[in-house]
Amino acid sequence: MIHRKKITPFHVLGMLVAAVVVFAVVMPYIWMLLTSFKTTPEIMKNPDKILPISWSISGYIKVLTRSPFFQWFTNSLVVAASVTLLVLLTSSLTGYIFAKYRFPLKNLLFWLILASMMVPFSVTMIPNFLIINTLGLYDSLAALIVPMMVSGFGIFLCRQFCEDIPDSICEAAKIDGAGDLRIYFTIILPLLRPCLAALAIFTFLESWNDYLRPLIMLEKVDSMTLPVALSFFSTQHGNDLSATMSAAALVMLPVTILFLVFQKHFIKGIALTGGK
Amino acid sequence: MKNNRFVYTILTPIFICMIVFTLLPILIGLGVSLFDYDPLAVNSPFVGLDNFKKLVSDDVFLVALKNTVVFVLVTVTLNIILALLIAQAISSMRSNKTRSFMRVIFFMPIVAPLAASSIVWKVMYANKYGLFNNILSSMGLPTHNWLGDPAWLLPAIILFTIWADIGYNIIIFSAGMDGIPQDFMDAAAIDGAGPLRRFFFITLPLLGRTTAFVITMTLISHFQMFAQFEIMGRSAGSPGGGGPNNVGMVLTLEIYKEAFKYKNMGYASAIALVLFLIILVVTVISQRISRTDWRY
Repeated sequence: MIHRKKITPFHVLGMLVAAVVVFAVVMPYIWMLLTSFKTTPEIMKNPDKILPISWSISGYIKVLTRSPFFQWFTNSLVVAASVTLLVLLTSSLTGYIFAKYRFPLKNLLFWLILASMMVPFSVTMIPNFLIINTLGLYDSLAALIVPMMVSGFGIFLCRQFCEDIPDSICEAAKIDGAGDLRIYFTIILPLLRPCLAALAIFTFLESWNDYLRPLIMLEKVDSMTLPVALSFFSTQHGNDLSATMSAAALVMLPVTILFLVFQKHFIKGIALTGGK
Repeated sequence: MKNNRFVYTILTPIFICMIVFTLLPILIGLGVSLFDYDPLAVNSPFVGLDNFKKLVSDDVFLVALKNTVVFVLVTVTLNIILALLIAQAISSMRSNKTRSFMRVIFFMPIVAPLAASSIVWKVMYANKYGLFNNILSSMGLPTHNWLGDPAWLLPAIILFTIWADIGYNIIIFSAGMDGIPQDFMDAAAIDGAGPLRRFFFITLPLLGRTTAFVITMTLISHFQMFAQFEIMGRSAGSPGGGGPNNVGMVLTLEIYKEAFKYKNMGYASAIALVLFLIILVVTVISQRISRTDWRY
């Protein structure tokens, strides 16, 4: 028999409060979607109606036909995917080296990694722009990928996880004749999977959602990534609320759906790494 | 293990990349701040500490500094208190499914780009067609021009930022609370401690290290908030953001505007160094104050 506690008025009140709070948190999403299905004249004429009087997808059609939306989406995808793959590679390799190897200057180099984690981008955006300009990468997607290839946080995280892998496994593989890279690919990488999954999620999100860096580094409309492109679109079509909300929905929904599908991994990842 | 050739072959490119894009920029920033540097000008004279002296009498900088401090203090305080309360409420829910549902809901705003949700909220705050004014007027309450009124701009952005960012902290606090052994709660309950006392005398002290971490990380990230100030503070009168007459200006936006709109890179670098110093000091202080020795 399952012992059930009695439901008291206190619990009912708690559930009511919870329901109201949940509704308040998701309200912007609901409102964004409902507004995106109205036409702009309808939004102007009946601002007090929550539901669209006649459902319309004219806002979405306008976004997809009047702007290079697919180009923007591809740009975002190329940048976020490249950054994520590169960060996984550099972080796991460096983490492995710092956890399992002895070499001169190790402490100084690790201190440099920690120091690099403390440097905020808002502080270094001007020199970063100057460096990217000197390298000839201005207004190219590479300007968003190259500076992000190495992540101090990623290295730190991977080193923590590599230290939990017993040295004896690596030593044994070495005696059996495995080279350094072979140990990395066949032993370290598979054991790092939970850590890399969490790191991949954070890195992808950070890159996909980044606003300030692409705002500085990109100029042409065709080379923009989604957040900057959306901001640009909303100033271009400032009076067309329907199109603006449709564009916002098209930007917000893919990540939100991805999150809802993989929510367990997301939340486990945060708890695992302490977030960022 | 030892193999210097392997180690240095891998580490050299990685460290070059890291130094060029994170550590070298600090030195360059220091250098640039001593010049009247404009990338388009023919010559950029050395001005010594003039850029820093100019800060003291620059009204926009002073407003930005004040707004940044007010925004960070209010938002972080509210964020931490609410996150603790909500995490506690979630962890006291009985069914596992409800608990994870609540976590998912609160985390949802985190995954959306801040720039996109800023645009949605900007329309929600709109004077005529916005959601907030509709709700207020339908209840017979006075409406406000939220983003156009100097008195309401900052509170409106604070409310948005809490909505957008609180999910992280709720998840971290919730994970911390799940890690507290149930025995402690049971023992306290047997001794007659109610839920409130259990929260203040067991949960809170045992979460000390988590809280210290959360406060530091939240402070650092909030000092750098940018998108909402640029987007929500943008209007016909202030196309670059920051609100009417810069009433909603913050340091990050000021650095961006000075450097990339007005091309005063030397002056903008001086502001960037001030921001760096503030973040550094605040990080050290918050680490010191919140250091606790509670363990379990």
